[in-house]
Amino acid sequence: MDPFQQSSLLMTRRHFFGRNAAGIGTAALAFLLGKDLLADETTAQHPAIKPAEGGLPGLPHFAPKAKRVIWLFQSGGPSQMELFDYKPRLAELRGTDLPDSIRKGQRLTGMTASQDRFPVVSSIYKFAQHGRSGAWVSELMPYTAKVVDELCFIKSMHTEAINHDPAITFFQTGAQIAGRPSIGAWLAYGLGSENKDLPAFVVMITQGGGDQPLYDRLWGSGFLPSKYQGVKFRSVGDPVLYLSNPPGFDSSLRRQYLDTLGQLDHMKLQEFGDPEIATRIAQYEMAFRMQSSVPELTDLSKEPEHVFKLYGEDAKKPGTFVANCLLARRLAERGVRFIQLFHRGWDQHGKLPRDTALIQDLKALGMLDDTLVVWGGEFGRTVYCQGRLTEDDYGRDHHPRCFTMWMAGGGIKPGIIHGETDDYSYNVTKDPVHVHDLHATILHCLGIDHTRLTFKYQGRHFRLTDVSGNVVNKILG
Amino acid sequence: MAQADKLTFCFLDQYAPKRFQEARCELLELRQEREKFYDTIPTVMVMQESEKPRDAFVLNRGAYDNLGEKVTPGVPAILPPLRKDWQNNRLGLARWLVDPSNPLTARVTVNRFWQMLFGVGLVKTVEDFGFQGERPVHPGLLDWLATEFMQKGWDVKGIVKTMVMSAAYRQSSKVTSELLEKDPENRLLARGPRFRLPAEVIRDQALAVAGLLVEQIGGPSVKPYQPPGLWEEVSFGDTYQPDEGESLYRRSLYTYWKRTVAPPSMITFDATDRENCTVRLTRTNTPLQALNLMNDTTYVESSRVLGQRVMKEGGPTPEERIVYAFRLATARPPRPREGKLLLDAWQRFLGRYKTDPNGALQLVSVGKFPHDETLDPVELASYTSLANLILNLDETITKE
Repeated sequence: MDPFQQSSLLMTRRHFFGRNAAGIGTAALAFLLGKDLLADETTAQHPAIKPAEGGLPGLPHFAPKAKRVIWLFQSGGPSQMELFDYKPRLAELRGTDLPDSIRKGQRLTGMTASQDRFPVVSSIYKFAQHGRSGAWVSELMPYTAKVVDELCFIKSMHTEAINHDPAITFFQTGAQIAGRPSIGAWLAYGLGSENKDLPAFVVMITQGGGDQPLYDRLWGSGFLPSKYQGVKFRSVGDPVLYLSNPPGFDSSLRRQYLDTLGQLDHMKLQEFGDPEIATRIAQYEMAFRMQSSVPELTDLSKEPEHVFKLYGEDAKKPGTFVANCLLARRLAERGVRFIQLFHRGWDQHGKLPRDTALIQDLKALGMLDDTLVVWGGEFGRTVYCQGRLTEDDYGRDHHPRCFTMWMAGGGIKPGIIHGETDDYSYNVTKDPVHVHDLHATILHCLGIDHTRLTFKYQGRHFRLTDVSGNVVNKILG
Repeated sequence: MAQADKLTFCFLDQYAPKRFQEARCELLELRQEREKFYDTIPTVMVMQESEKPRDAFVLNRGAYDNLGEKVTPGVPAILPPLRKDWQNNRLGLARWLVDPSNPLTARVTVNRFWQMLFGVGLVKTVEDFGFQGERPVHPGLLDWLATEFMQKGWDVKGIVKTMVMSAAYRQSSKVTSELLEKDPENRLLARGPRFRLPAEVIRDQALAVAGLLVEQIGGPSVKPYQPPGLWEEVSFGDTYQPDEGESLYRRSLYTYWKRTVAPPSMITFDATDRENCTVRLTRTNTPLQALNLMNDTTYVESSRVLGQRVMKEGGPTPEERIVYAFRLATARPPRPREGKLLLDAWQRFLGRYKTDPNGALQLVSVGKFPHDETLDPVELASYTSLANLILNLDETITKE
């Protein structure tokens, strides 16, 4: 049976065998009306849960700690050894060959597989311990260093993919092969939106490109209906595609236009009785509201000066990573469920973005408690040098076996370091966290049992975590 | 080219007797001509069985270097076997697929046509006829259609004609609240189908109504309008340059599709993203669709060209022109009350543009199709606005 039917039946039975006779009538009604009543019941059980627009009945499964997620995706694969995974022993090992006991016959990428040597290389950046947690952070991340006590570092992330495209697709959809819904689409489908005038899932991309392309499927809805796909908020042209009226056609004309359109559609509804017509009338009205709510949202000019001090002057330039971070906060304030930023071209020599200003900002606004912030890329970097190792230059190849991410806020223990890697930052030695585990944990923070958010497609009940995934209980607050 | 060859040719070109030089020139020309001729011959892919088929394995968890059990070709054991006199290869499979004693292929196929016309298949799970698929809602009908399809030589046009001429298809799609409650998805067909048109058809229809549609068949893909910057912001630096002229108005079947940055107006209206094979239609109803139909250059331009068309072909009065525009889009004249609402709206648009001739000119200048300079821009802008409204009616984008 379809799991959602199943869950509504279960709910119905619970009503049926409930405390009093009123239960029976309610049960019949619940069955007819589907989700709304059921959502109410969930609310009654968990006062923390508010029913949302268009979510599934019975969701969230339990009281959530986080109401929304902001994911700062660092596309390209940041090097854990240059940022967070401090390995002092590498200095003495510099130039020596990576031992087979560490590599364990691992298949490498085509870019380094044919190298005759795999010389180990230590980071040229200085590390120091910060905060009460004593987390090691390199000089490259001075802003992150300031907020370490709010963060939970996961040093034991690992993935299955070794090249950018499959790895990022795996992170976004739980599968390396294209075609599955993205995590944001799953959440929009399961939890619906908290804001009637904004989409549940918004995507923003740092302008200026990078070494690796991105793909629509990274925020696509896969086999879920297309309305659950991420809506791109763009810094060039309309923030949302086709938002602006055509030239010469202003908002007051649009209002008159919609009044007539609504009347005509309403007549059609009266005559044909198709509820889709009522939905269409409502969607045109929402489109009209978006025409004013979205520009208001993306207009940062009214943000006070201290906010720009916090995020840096770059936040005034549309399309920069920090401007998008600030926008993410504004979206979060308005109840957008899943906000994902894609930041590309992990160039550690460039100007450093103050993305962690977002943590301070959310905290100051009292929103960090119920906003989950996630930072990380699709894989890590190898300890051995890609290409020629010289005095002052080295490269690192893709490394799926261990890398570092951090999470903060909504349901995550602050100021901790989870997982350990070996002296080469090559293998996880303690508390491995797989991508599926991370997904399961994020869903858990949002009040979702990852094994029960499914969609039947081509004869199978699919889920974000496929057939795996364990919630990482140790990092839950 | 090897160095020695280069030297030889250099010598021949410069110092060989004239006779040799001329012969060489002629040879080169003839070779080019031969290449050109080869280019005119269409390439057709053909399958050929290799004499010794390669070993194939189940790949555990999909990893290419993790070989599992060795597998050999064959048809699913639960279905009828291949006939003894057929080879166990692609040809055998093709014969098996369309063998008269195998009804499955025809059932699956007619069910997809049914979905196309009625919105939902007789078996709703059009992609899944297995144990986990839905049972047909009218099994007798499905089998009759499948048999009919096979017996008439797999004639697609014929079977579609049979469907659209049926009483089930031709009945009204009006619904009462009682009926809606009993059968919300109209599986029992007590009413005719009513559903929003697919993405491609919505665009094609707008072009057709405006008289812009180019009905040429085949040819290379074309690039219609698309908001600037979409490719640039995610790709390696590919840029999207919309076409000019007729290529802007070809059917959506022929438009360019970059899978990693799919055309937004198609995706917004639930076209499949081409990431994997999708046969079941989903239809959503979103505010992004409204924004798309109201503001996309494709639709604003179509509205203006439709405006031009009704001003020139629709008769002298606004009333006649409104009826003409409405009929072009919905295939029926407006009812008196509808006509009145549209006329009122048009008068408001006209009144407004009389005070804002600049705005009128801006609106009628959207799109590359030249605007008819013999028409008054203020009047044209009012008909453009009205035409856009008509193109956005639920009825216009809905099949009923």
